[in-house]
Formats: sequence, structure tokens, C-alpha cells
Amino acid sequence: MLGRITREAESLTINGSGIQGIQSISANYASTAQFLNNLGVNDIKYAPQGPQQAVIDVNTMLTHTLSLSAPTLSTEMMYGFTGDFPFSGVVDHGSKKFIFTEGYMQSYSVNCAIGQIPTISTSSVIYGEFGTGDLTNLPTDSFPSQLNIPSYSSMEINLNEFTTNRVLSFNIDVATPRIPIYAVGLDVPTGVIAATPVEVNMSFDIEPDDYEIKNMRFVPEETVFRDTIITLKKNNSDITLLTYSFDDMLLTSESFQGDSNSNASINFNLRSFILR
Amino acid sequence: MADLIFYDKAAVKVSVGGTSEVLLASDCSVSFSSSVQPLYSIGKKGSLGQFPSAARVGEISFSFLTSMTGVHDGQPGNIINYLASGIKGSINSNASGALIQVAGLSGTGFLNSYSFNIASNSVSTSSASFTLFGSGEVANNENLNVPISGRLANSDFAPFSDKTRLATGIAHGRFTNLNDFRTELTGPTSNGTVFGADYSISFNHNPIYKVGQEFPTCTYYTTASEQMGVTEDIFSSGLSFSGINVNGAAGNVNLNVKGLIDNSAQMQIGMSGVKQINTSASVGLDDIIRTQKTLVAAY
Repeated sequence: MLGRITREAESLTINGSGIQGIQSISANYASTAQFLNNLGVNDIKYAPQGPQQAVIDVNTMLTHTLSLSAPTLSTEMMYGFTGDFPFSGVVDHGSKKFIFTEGYMQSYSVNCAIGQIPTISTSSVIYGEFGTGDLTNLPTDSFPSQLNIPSYSSMEINLNEFTTNRVLSFNIDVATPRIPIYAVGLDVPTGVIAATPVEVNMSFDIEPDDYEIKNMRFVPEETVFRDTIITLKKNNSDITLLTYSFDDMLLTSESFQGDSNSNASINFNLRSFILR
Repeated sequence: MADLIFYDKAAVKVSVGGTSEVLLASDCSVSFSSSVQPLYSIGKKGSLGQFPSAARVGEISFSFLTSMTGVHDGQPGNIINYLASGIKGSINSNASGALIQVAGLSGTGFLNSYSFNIASNSVSTSSASFTLFGSGEVANNENLNVPISGRLANSDFAPFSDKTRLATGIAHGRFTNLNDFRTELTGPTSNGTVFGADYSISFNHNPIYKVGQEFPTCTYYTTASEQMGVTEDIFSSGLSFSGINVNGAAGNVNLNVKGLIDNSAQMQIGMSGVKQINTSASVGLDDIIRTQKTLVAAY
């Protein structure tokens, strides 16, 4: 009988640390080898055209956070990779594994709705190796993550609108552009520019009470900028696990939804750009 | 209806002296023209007629994958590179031209220009163009050697096939090292990173015509000018009035182009008397500042 590999035999390790709470992971590459066509073609030959890259997407539930003493900017491990630095890792599946090096996060998103644990989705591009091979000089996991589950019931959002309107869900998207620089004679980039600006979009679904849709024109007195802070706290406690904070977010869209079978709802989006 | 000739039966073959190569061409164009001009005279409303004012000439140009595994008379690289290297080494001498054949058409041409590019992670492509003058040197009762002759038909030759699946014999940016062409600054030391290069050489030729026959009796290559644009990340503001000697006063630099395997196989272009005459920098959104310098040599 053919065997199968189930979730208990799968794992992702990044920079020596195991990633917890993974709901799904996908990794892929597409060869850049192309058929070389020519007048009088009488042979099928291939050559790589363009840089070879791979992509790894990871979806996790926010069930673990790093120790506060860990030398990172955020206690949520993946959020730390929205900065300049790359990461390497290995995906184990059964008795097999594949590695990746020089991974750079391109997008990070977190969302949460009533009744859910916050979920995090990331997409990263791999400029180094992907597939077979061994990782060398792996750092040791000096600050292993700890089980800390935040809850929708114990989070704080600083927007005034939410004192009188009911929040159903929020979503944060962080796009971190990367510019690889390729030189002649190499198949990996000589450098990867952490491009600027970083675009942040934050959207909320609310059931409004006194929330008022703004004028869509760029009317000065109705153009809204918000400093937005979302604080995730440990379930049924006042222990802060993680804070998402963005300044001067511009209100960029609003949508109203009325339905015969549900309460009226409004979705609005805030956007900001962060210069690195 | 004439036979329809698909591209897979339209290989391009170039023969120089006793050596030849079927190139991996990606396009080819052939033209043949006569220079006929109307004549007018005072007292006559219409033209007197249309009369030839110059000899018929042909043009053939093609692009091709830069094959670099061939060796022609000891010169590694494709036959166009061999031809160009030979011509610039023997400027101002009588030339016999190269026989070019494609899909039943053929003619003897003189190289106008040859160029190729090298970029990271990319296959190199070349292009070449020839002018075909024909020849008046014919024996009794023989047809003139017109610039272009033949009729469209399937090429009766094909590129060399070694049955390998990876195109290891094609020039590629993967293992090509252009560090000999990078800008190096001192105090503090800063070495450029080369992102790509474009090489080109153009030739002037002089067909010698004599009264009594349409086509030239012979053709000389007169001068050649070589140019290479190098894209990197260093701007050298030390450009002098007389340019910058590249690699010393002699300016001898070899441009070695390699394929997909880091072995000894390479195509070589020997450049001599190379000077840098230009440096520029440009930047656009979402990119680094890239600089480009122009190297020239003359023969």
C-alpha cells in the first residue's frame, strides 16, 4: 500500500526556529528553461532565460509568540521578516525535506474576525537555493516560541469609530517590495534591495450605529487620516502579545452593504506608506 | 502556388574560406535592389526614362543565438565572430567575402556590422548584416556573379546536432566573467559590478568598380570601429580629455564569453587599443542607479 504524509510529519523551520500554528504551506518554482528555437531547427535544446526564483507561502494561526527577550522587533516571528533581512529554512515532509535560502518576504497579512484566532498569511520569494541541499551554519533556536493564543475578545483597536460601532473583522496587508540585482556571471542576486515604500492596507468590517460614510471627493474637512493601533492580547488576560501600529493612514474606500436578512454593514479601508 | 517554406527549412549557412557553419538564426532578411533614377531634360515634359545610377546590391541581415563552441582556424566561437576578428586584423586588404546561403538564396557578402549582448541569466543573441556587391570577375560564357542568386527552396543543410538537451554551447550570462571591464576606483577602493554588456563592431568597405562592368572587381575593407557598452554600478568622474586607457596604454583586453558550463570553452574577442570615452548614469523609479560606459577601439 502506498504511504501518505499527514500533518504530523510536516514542519517548517526558519532560521533554526520551528514555525508553530501552520495551517497550510505551499512552495513552488517554475523553471525558466526555455526551448531555443531557430531557423532550420532540427534539435530540441533548452537554456535558462531569466533569473530562477521560487515562492513559499505560509498560513499560520497566531498561536505562538517569541520570547520578549528575543532580539527581534516583533514577537510574531514572521512579522520580523518584513524588514531588510532574508531568511533560510527547511520544509520536512515525512522522511524527505527541501531547503530554501535567501528568502525575502513580499507580503504579510493578518486578519481576525469574531470567533476566530488571528491568522497570518505570508508570501516570500526565494532568490537563493530551493530544493535539494543542506543548510549550513544554522542558528540555534535560542528563543523558542511559546504558546500564547490571542483572542478576538481581548484585542484593542484605538479607532474612535469602534466605541460606538461593532467591529466584525479586520485585515492588515503589508506589501514589502524587493528588487533583486543580478550581475553577469552569477545566478543569484548580488544584492536584494528592500524597496521603498512599504504599503500598508488595513480594512475593517463593522456593523454601524452612528458611523457616517464620508464624502468621496477629496474634501479637506472630510479627508480622514488615522493613527491606527491594534493590540492583540493573550486570551482572557491583559497581557499584550503583539501590537500593529501605523500612523497617518488615509481613508481610501468605504462600502455599505444592506441586506434583508442581516444587519447593515460597512467596510472601510485605510492605507499608508512607510518609507524605509 | 509556389512551395511554402516553413522556418524549420530555412537555416542560414555562412561559409568563409574553407570553413562554414549553419547558424542558429532567429530571423533573416534578404533584399536585392537596383538603383534606377529618372532622367529629365529641358524642353521635355516627361522623363527621358529611368536609368541605372549604381550597381545592383544586396543586403542580408540576420540575428542568431551566439553559439560559441565552434573553432574556425583556431579561433574559438561562431563563424561570424571568426570573420569579424579576421577582418579587423587585416584591415585594408583585398577581401573575398563570405558566402551566405538561406532557403535556396545565396550570395557573397561583406560584413557591415556584428553585435551581441551579454546579460545576467540570459542567452546571448547576436546579429550581423552583410552587403553583397556581386562580382564582375567572370570567365567567358559564364553568367555574372550577381549579388544574390537562386530561388526559394528548402535549405539543404541544418544546424549541427549533438543530441544534447541543454544548450551548453550557447553564450550565456551565467558563467561569463566581465570583471576585466569593470570600473575600479581607488581611495577608497570600489569595484564595479557588471550587469551587462553590448558589443558591436562595424566595418567600412570599398568596392572597386571599373568602367565596362557593373560589379566591382574587388572589395577592400577599409576601417573598423569597435564599441562596447558596459552597464555597471560605478560612475567614474575621472574621464580625461583623451579618454581613459583601458588595461594600460596598449589597451589590450580579451572579451571572453562562456556558455552554461563553467569550463574552458569560450568565445573570445580580442580588443586592442581600447579607450573609455564616455560614462553616464541614470536612474528610474524602483531601481538602483545604473551607470554605463562606452569603450571604443579602431582598426
